[in-house]
Amino acid sequence: MSSTERELQISPIVQESLVHNSRTLYNLQSITASLFGVSAGILGLESYPGFLFYLVFSLLTAVLFYVLRVAPTSLAAAGGGGKGKSALLDTSRYFRGPFEFWAGGLMNGLAGFILTWTLFYGLVRA
Amino acid sequence: MTLLSKTLTAFGGILLAHACYSAREHTTLQSLRSAATAALTSSPAAAVSLPVDIIIETIISTFVILLGLVLGTRALRPLEWRVWAGKIEREGEEGFTDGAGAVDKDFMGNPFSVLESRPNFVDIRKQRREFTEWVQKGGTPQGQ
Repeated sequence: MSSTERELQISPIVQESLVHNSRTLYNLQSITASLFGVSAGILGLESYPGFLFYLVFSLLTAVLFYVLRVAPTSLAAAGGGGKGKSALLDTSRYFRGPFEFWAGGLMNGLAGFILTWTLFYGLVRA
Repeated sequence: MTLLSKTLTAFGGILLAHACYSAREHTTLQSLRSAATAALTSSPAAAVSLPVDIIIETIISTFVILLGLVLGTRALRPLEWRVWAGKIEREGEEGFTDGAGAVDKDFMGNPFSVLESRPNFVDIRKQRREFTEWVQKGGTPQGQ
């Protein structure tokens, strides 16, 4: 039995919660990516500045989501548990891995971003 | 979605639409002006970038919509089974509501409710003692 398997046996996870949290995050990322595309198109960004804009605002989305949704409960739980480990920026209460939470939105929303980016660039600069 | 998130999103949407319209007007004006100067002086005018106020308005409206959308997301659920079951046990249905206060559709309730209502585990002596106390206190059945 591997170590992750043993870990899952000791502290099992709820599949419904996993699906619910992932879907919540995915919906937010898709809809905000389209929004960022609109903004980038209005600003008239081209090539690298546009992707940089998307990168910055995606990270901002993740930070806002962490501050407003994840941090209040997970920090309170970690403080009450008294485990002593650094709980800041820790999303393990709601998500499987930190990579999925912090960087997953970059891939999820890229197509929607480019779609609305080109659309609004064409609308404004026509 | 709560009222706050809806208000923020709508306000940001109005700002963004206004910024979009302003940018469109600006580019139209620029192209007209450059066409006029080109006709007069036959020297191509340099492309003028967006005014600062439109840029600021776009970025601020994006941020406001983003804030509204993040505030409008549904509450997350704990991943580990023990944390999740403890939350259900402590908070009940109140812990699994969306922003408007309605209980989520897929809220299943206590996962151990089957165990807790087993008839084998009913304390019949305790119930009998409670009944005797009730009779001794002069509890009157409905028939009398």
